[in-house]
Amino acid sequence: MTSLEDLRKINARCIHCRACQYAYSGEPDREGETEEYTGMLQGCPAGIYFGWEGYFNSGKQWMARAFLNGELPASKEFLEVAEACTTCGMCETQCPNYIDTVSVTEALRAAIIDAGVEPLDKHKGFGDRVGNEEMRNPYAEPRSERTKWFDGIVDNKDAKVAYFVGCTASYRQQQIAEHTASILKKLGVDFTVLSDEVCCGSPLLRTGLRKTFNTVMEENLELFKDFDLVLFSCAGCYKTFTNDYTEQSGKELSFKTRHAVEYVYDLIGEGKVKIEKPYNEKVTWHDPCHSIRHIGIAIEKRILKEYNNWLLDSRKAEKAKEAHYEIPRVVLDAIPGLELHEMYRIKGDSFCCGAGGGVKAQFSDMALSTAKERMKEAASTGADVIMTSCPFCVTNFTDAIKSLKEEEKETGKDLSHLGSKMKVVELLELLDDLI
Amino acid sequence: MTQMYNKVTDEVVAKLAAICGDQYVTTSEPLRHSYMAKGIMGLEAVLPECIVRPANAEEVSKILVLANEYLIPVTPAAGGLSGGFALPAIEPGGIYMDMTRMNKLTVDTENRVMVVEPGVKSGDAWRIFKTKYPEWAPPIPDGAPPAATVLGDAIERGFSLVTGVYGPQADMIMGLEVVLPTGETFRTGSWALDDAKAFYRWGVGPNPDGLFLGSQGSMGIITKCAIKIVPHPHYKTVVAYGGETWDDIVRPAWEISKHELGIAERTVMVQGGNYELVMTRWPKENVPIDYEFYKKIGIDKKWMNYECWAWSKEELDETLKGIDKIYKDYEVREKRTLPQQSLHPKQIASRLKKPNKIAIPYSLWQAGFLFITWYTPWLESSAMMEEYCAAMENYGFPPTMWVASIDHARQAIVMPILCFDSTEPGIFDKIREFNLETTRSFLKKGWVNYRPDPFVHAPETFSKTKEYYKMLVKFRKVLDPNLILHPGRLAIPWESVTDLPNPLNE
Repeated sequence: MTSLEDLRKINARCIHCRACQYAYSGEPDREGETEEYTGMLQGCPAGIYFGWEGYFNSGKQWMARAFLNGELPASKEFLEVAEACTTCGMCETQCPNYIDTVSVTEALRAAIIDAGVEPLDKHKGFGDRVGNEEMRNPYAEPRSERTKWFDGIVDNKDAKVAYFVGCTASYRQQQIAEHTASILKKLGVDFTVLSDEVCCGSPLLRTGLRKTFNTVMEENLELFKDFDLVLFSCAGCYKTFTNDYTEQSGKELSFKTRHAVEYVYDLIGEGKVKIEKPYNEKVTWHDPCHSIRHIGIAIEKRILKEYNNWLLDSRKAEKAKEAHYEIPRVVLDAIPGLELHEMYRIKGDSFCCGAGGGVKAQFSDMALSTAKERMKEAASTGADVIMTSCPFCVTNFTDAIKSLKEEEKETGKDLSHLGSKMKVVELLELLDDLI
Repeated sequence: MTQMYNKVTDEVVAKLAAICGDQYVTTSEPLRHSYMAKGIMGLEAVLPECIVRPANAEEVSKILVLANEYLIPVTPAAGGLSGGFALPAIEPGGIYMDMTRMNKLTVDTENRVMVVEPGVKSGDAWRIFKTKYPEWAPPIPDGAPPAATVLGDAIERGFSLVTGVYGPQADMIMGLEVVLPTGETFRTGSWALDDAKAFYRWGVGPNPDGLFLGSQGSMGIITKCAIKIVPHPHYKTVVAYGGETWDDIVRPAWEISKHELGIAERTVMVQGGNYELVMTRWPKENVPIDYEFYKKIGIDKKWMNYECWAWSKEELDETLKGIDKIYKDYEVREKRTLPQQSLHPKQIASRLKKPNKIAIPYSLWQAGFLFITWYTPWLESSAMMEEYCAAMENYGFPPTMWVASIDHARQAIVMPILCFDSTEPGIFDKIREFNLETTRSFLKKGWVNYRPDPFVHAPETFSKTKEYYKMLVKFRKVLDPNLILHPGRLAIPWESVTDLPNPLNE
């Protein structure tokens, strides 16, 4: 497991320039439609919400350094500041010193807890539930009901492709699981889901509960080891398997991983899928941090690791990252009738929905406020639909719209300019309808 | 020394909260650590006891009155990008005043001036001008990170995107609003007159601006600053010429700039460096360190960039032709080979980008870096860079060097970038030794430090300018009788930063 101590030298690269506080910190001349959405913009959900330096990554890096140097003791107060971050990675995109900001934040949380501080109550709750062998999910649902939604063959040993459903789609947003399975069937994929699947551990790793994370990571690695390909519908699970399992276990995965949207993208590229049914809507696309930014950054860093002349090769790595950011756009472009209206902050500079990193559970006000900020940006495009592919983003945007509607009811004001009339659509649900 | 001051008590915190509101005052230990910085411009920093975020000059004034009453030091910081310079240097740390909530910007294109509060970031100013005043440019720092503040750069007499023509950023200032440590607020220049615009810097009488500019927040807190804006023609480009020696890049630049009119006027930025300036932006283990590689990719050992702005293509072409002619004549006359570099359009675009992150990645070389900046007469900068690079290599640092012209090559700002591993035991002592050795040598030659480090540059410089120091302390005592503002800065009080003999006692 990567510890905070392992990251000491990476953390020491921070010179507190604060570029990490902004989207497009390196593109001051970026053109936008309005004064509000032009040039560099504040991009840190926690910093925007709380205001104090310690909530921005720039402040967190220096708190982590003080902790590493024994100048700042572990405390509940410290953990509360460290946990109030969606780990969206906007800061990591901005850092010209290539600091692994999210890894530092996650390792700091773990180090504070390892030093004896009790995890924050909501985090402890889902940590306990995932740690419970009868559950292995944060929703306190029985493990035996994990695949209840599935009408295909569970635990099909002959399949070479597995669909890792994840806890949210298994227990809370089963429609995402059903649509994903339906897409895979339509595409003729011989796949299975596994009854012994357990939580990927993402919420645990993000919030510093590493012991339980390690347990579920080992269980999943063992369970999926003989498959050729594991597919995902959850951005968080996908990122956790793809990036974190390799980093935290120190071993390469024995199987390939792909998000279902990427899988469709592959088939579109190969000419095996052609979408003919139209979707006549004005759509704006929200990049889920986990499956877009985090995977993109990991692609870039993996390439850099292989090269010994960054001066020449960093551009190649950056191009590979940027190519990853195009994937959902290629898929959307393949849908007839869909009119894409991009938001200002997109791709690596996309503004988080506010739900990640344990924030939705522990800091629900911040999560809602962040989702509303993003909805406002979505509404500014003139689109009627905000589309994404992540169960957490879907939930948080839905909550934001609900809250806006309630506000409209209470005040009698029309808040459509803030996104109150927008519809949230999961891309996988749409693809199932169109394919 | 520390006995002069008191600790921040619960009573003081409650009074601060009454001034600014509960939500803008904190004593949280983690949050106090989050304001720490040891890098870029300074390596010394001590934890403040309390952070306060005032909303306006009135709150600033009330905080200072309170701090005076309780004898608590106060450190103001705008973007805090002066690194260690933005934190109290001595114990007790006192009150850290985070000015970021004060972030208003107004623009008067008729009188060609903008008024900024301390929290206005370069990137924000650039965005506002781009969308609302595209024919004008705010003189934001060039090369400073986008989160650097316009006011912080100006009052530190920093470097702007038109410094080559207009001089240091402080020369662009048309008026200040200052809150004194005793709580009084006043404006300088024509701005001192009620309802007057900030149109005439020397205004209603002797102008005290110089006492506050470069005082590192130790004479008063500047809550508003009126700064000239400059025309923003959109015909722009960058040309670069290489050479083998520092003189190869410094002398032709002087030939171009000294005429001041014509092509010099349109050459708004003249800055250069050596190939190490490119090399040390990458990890030591992941970049070639042999010059042969840089030669192959077209990077000269030394080079100078000329950024030109013009109103038309013809004017721009004429400027480039003029620069080239001066270079060609110089080559013949001095028997030197000074090739023009072939810049890719992307390289030009990247050099024209403002603000940018060009100065940030030097931490990649190892894990930490420090800018040390000096002013020399332009033509003496070659000698300084020669000596600096030799000293850097002696101490085991790569000789990364940057230089820029100030005001038509009247002065040079010379800046070595010390790239080091901040986790290495003893590294800060080594840097201090390096700093001491070079400072003593440079002061003997009559060169002056910009933004003096309180522990090395300030005491060493003032030991050689004793009468000036005595006068500075007199002014300081008039403005700040209890020395509550940023103690230690400018070596006031002397004993808080050095064991050298106090000039006041001589």
